[in-house]
Amino acid sequence: MFDNFFRKVLGKPDSKDVAKKRLKFALIYDKLEVSDDVLTCLHRDMVEVISRYFEIDKDAFKMDIHHSEDLSALVVNTPIIKAKRKKYPAV
Amino acid sequence: MEGKAEGKVIVITSGKGGVGKTTATASIGAALALDGNRVAVVDMDIGLRNLDVVMGLENRIVFNVVDAVKGRCKLKQAAIRDRRIKNLYLIPASQSDNKDVLSPDEMVQFGEKMRKEFDYILMDSPAGIEQGFENSVASADEALVVCMPEVSSVRDADRVIGLLYARSITPKLVVNRIIPEMVERGDMLSHEDMVEVLSIELIGLVQVDDHVIISTNTGVPLVLQKGSKAGDAFRRIAMRINGRKDIPIEVPQTEGRFWKKIGSKFGLGK
Repeated sequence: MFDNFFRKVLGKPDSKDVAKKRLKFALIYDKLEVSDDVLTCLHRDMVEVISRYFEIDKDAFKMDIHHSEDLSALVVNTPIIKAKRKKYPAV
Repeated sequence: MEGKAEGKVIVITSGKGGVGKTTATASIGAALALDGNRVAVVDMDIGLRNLDVVMGLENRIVFNVVDAVKGRCKLKQAAIRDRRIKNLYLIPASQSDNKDVLSPDEMVQFGEKMRKEFDYILMDSPAGIEQGFENSVASADEALVVCMPEVSSVRDADRVIGLLYARSITPKLVVNRIIPEMVERGDMLSHEDMVEVLSIELIGLVQVDDHVIISTNTGVPLVLQKGSKAGDAFRRIAMRINGRKDIPIEVPQTEGRFWKKIGSKFGLGK
């Protein structure tokens, strides 16, 4: 009873509100979960496309899905070794 | 039942185990029968049967659901009649078979036969979302999702709700084992929180109740136990299933709420 009183005085959130917030994120994440196959194919294709324009360190290429408050982001990180000097075909 | 409308198959499921599916099935089934319906409760947890002991009918099993579905016996032979509650029948699970002994197609046919004999057929689904779940859902017209106010149970319920929607079934939520004191002090998800997170229609709120274990100890149906709050809650759920939309959903309250309220006015307690 007094634990609870002090918790309220100290402004700590109710544990059920923590649970609710965590659940909401977990459920969003569960539904957005992309299969490994999809990620593997995307990884391969992106390396291929970027390689047309830059020389990159293929082993250091990193890809991740980040979830925040209300959006998900695909984050790609790759070290560029050098730009390729060649003419690009006109679109 | 000649001349009467066909019955309804309702699956009771949860995803997570141990949240009270079997107790809910037994209690809602008994309550529907007490209201004058012909009811069959079917234990679909092949290999791990329990509905029979919860209902106190374990020593009367001869045939089981696998026998009935495979046509090795007549429906009437597999359905054990409850001697205390008129029109209540149990079709027990088989204890020796493997759960993929049945297929969803066979269950659809079984459901069609059952609808002709009973007003309500309650399928007690096993935990999980594998074959046993598929079989339990195959012939269902409606679904109840039993969920406890606790993160892992809610997450699994969400998964199951998604799977039911994919089969064009709109499930309803039974919140089980509510501890009103914890909800009041903010340490347990309230039913409003759960409805918000799961976006699902509520059909009943059941609080934690010693009578549940006492009832399974003795095999006496919970709804026949006087003064059982969980039993009363299941009876109200049964009435709502039976079309009594006017029965309000009662929110479990803490004991001695009055004195606590007075106390809190003077800055005592929470």
